[in-house]
Amino acid sequence: MRTGVVAVALVLLVLAPLRTARAQFSFDARRYGMGGVSLSRDGNARRFNPAYRALKTNSRTSGTPKFSIPIPIGLIKFFKDHPINQLSHDPMFDPRSTSFNPFALTNLIFNPPIFYEIKKSPTPTNNVEFTIGKNQLIVNLGGSRVLIPEQDFGLGSTSRLFDAGAGFGGFHFGVMGFLQYNVSFTLDSALRRALTDTVTGVQPGDTLSLLSDAVAQAGLAPTVGFAGRLTHGADPATDDGLYLGGAVHYYLGATYGRLTGPAQILVGNPIFGTTPAAGVNDTLRTSNKANGGGVGGDVGLVWVSGPFEVGLGVNDIGAELTWSDTKLQHVTYNTATGNLVTTLDTNHVETKTKLPLTYMANAALRMGTGTTVGGDVVNSGRGTIIHVGVEQRTGPFALRGGVSRDQRKKMQFGLGGGLRLGPIGLDVGFFTHSNSLSTQRAITMATAISIY
Amino acid sequence: MKALTAALLVLVAACGQGRVILNVDVLSFLAASDSVKSFSVLGGIPQTDSTVSRQFFLPPGFGKSSVDSVTATAAAALICTGGGGNVRFDVFFSKTQGSVFTGTPYLTASSGPLVAGDSVSLLPPTSVSLADTVFNTDTLWVGIRARIATNVGPNMTGRLRLQDLHLRIALQDKLF
Repeated sequence: MRTGVVAVALVLLVLAPLRTARAQFSFDARRYGMGGVSLSRDGNARRFNPAYRALKTNSRTSGTPKFSIPIPIGLIKFFKDHPINQLSHDPMFDPRSTSFNPFALTNLIFNPPIFYEIKKSPTPTNNVEFTIGKNQLIVNLGGSRVLIPEQDFGLGSTSRLFDAGAGFGGFHFGVMGFLQYNVSFTLDSALRRALTDTVTGVQPGDTLSLLSDAVAQAGLAPTVGFAGRLTHGADPATDDGLYLGGAVHYYLGATYGRLTGPAQILVGNPIFGTTPAAGVNDTLRTSNKANGGGVGGDVGLVWVSGPFEVGLGVNDIGAELTWSDTKLQHVTYNTATGNLVTTLDTNHVETKTKLPLTYMANAALRMGTGTTVGGDVVNSGRGTIIHVGVEQRTGPFALRGGVSRDQRKKMQFGLGGGLRLGPIGLDVGFFTHSNSLSTQRAITMATAISIY
Repeated sequence: MKALTAALLVLVAACGQGRVILNVDVLSFLAASDSVKSFSVLGGIPQTDSTVSRQFFLPPGFGKSSVDSVTATAAAALICTGGGGNVRFDVFFSKTQGSVFTGTPYLTASSGPLVAGDSVSLLPPTSVSLADTVFNTDTLWVGIRARIATNVGPNMTGRLRLQDLHLRIALQDKLF
């Protein structure tokens, strides 16, 4: 049983970057070396901006490879450290192991080990101390205390799992898979104090609340799109001109769920004198059938003028799904049994949901000296990410660098290089990231073979 | 309390390979009448016990944890106001009330010979026990025993005041 769970977890870990590769990330080490910016008209640009369908993917001047093949050095090291035939007993995945560290596992999920970690973010391993008296409860998390968020925290994204189709004359017909999820938690001030204040701690009569809001919806969306060139420059043979693209999606929701509400603890007075009332009073909405439906659209513009290119794409405009058969349940906590109890409130009711607006604005300047500078601003559903990068090509060599501001508003840095020999190139990119439960940055080395 | 621990430990899981340490002020769980015991024992009695036992609580959720070590410390003051004799101060811990005083005390200190007017501090040596399964529970019983032996003569009277009783329980990181 546990072997199966581990296997599924590993499959998810391996697939996670593949899924996001089409949406936000890439196996392209060049991109990592430029702080995450994409200076090419790759799948990421088309995902956000339908106008890019009217532009050639591979510009002769951009040096863009046809595709990149990642060299998964990180996986090799991972499976060396965690032999696949011993995964069922691996402390990394076994909560019953004394060496099990939930932070290490979370870091692994946030940072699938495709590429090689030059510098890992430290995993908190300090002691946690509880000071307990009849009327006293102080929690000292030690160095891990800095991880307690001051504002709401969570994760979320809108992804297009696949986008398949064909077209002619500027029209595009296809179907895409969509997945939107957002999970956020907020600690109220009393709970924050309980976890961070090593002097006052929990007070008698406190109500400690963890507010949660988790939503997920997924399905398919048949799509009709158009992308075309509105104007062109003096030489129509060049890419110069203004491009417009749009797409209309009919969302067919397959599944939906949303859980909202607080988990509360009413601390006794004195704290250990009485049994405190624990409360979960959440609302759970779920779809009964795969019957969500709604219409939304994408629109995008690209303007190319000589070496300069700028684009803006907005997705899921007006995307509201109507789920005609959902149920509303209450989730409560039974103090006596220690179990969560779900009770049906209403059934077969209609629920409307929205897909968040996502967008990408990008610009690139391709100088004649082999230098390309660019940047983009991306919002894929939870926070804005800014990338700025530069690439300098000299003969077969390329030098790259860039900076970005991630969803946590932390600055990140990239540096990389490449060597191209005819149709094959080898690229290396170093990038910092904070996609882990640590305040310190990690450094990863991405390696890839590019085919031109 | 289980939910309290659960909610806290979602974030407390930060301990990683570190340990969960419970610093328990056991004295705070005792009533004032439990921590100050007056006694009056006939002279010439070789052994009589004055005991008190009380239940106290640990945060739930640690019941499945493995106990690395338990360190117990205590301090008491004894005043002899009449007669003479010896008093031995013992501290016990147990999962059940019925078995509180059946085992070996975790802490023990002897007053030595006392006569009326003597006042002594009882400072049992700190005890450290390893992998002690008594503490694999959410609720514990503490027992305080004054084992009194009186000299032939007038009644031995006095007062035992428990001044400090702390436990430091180090657990393996098996929170659930």
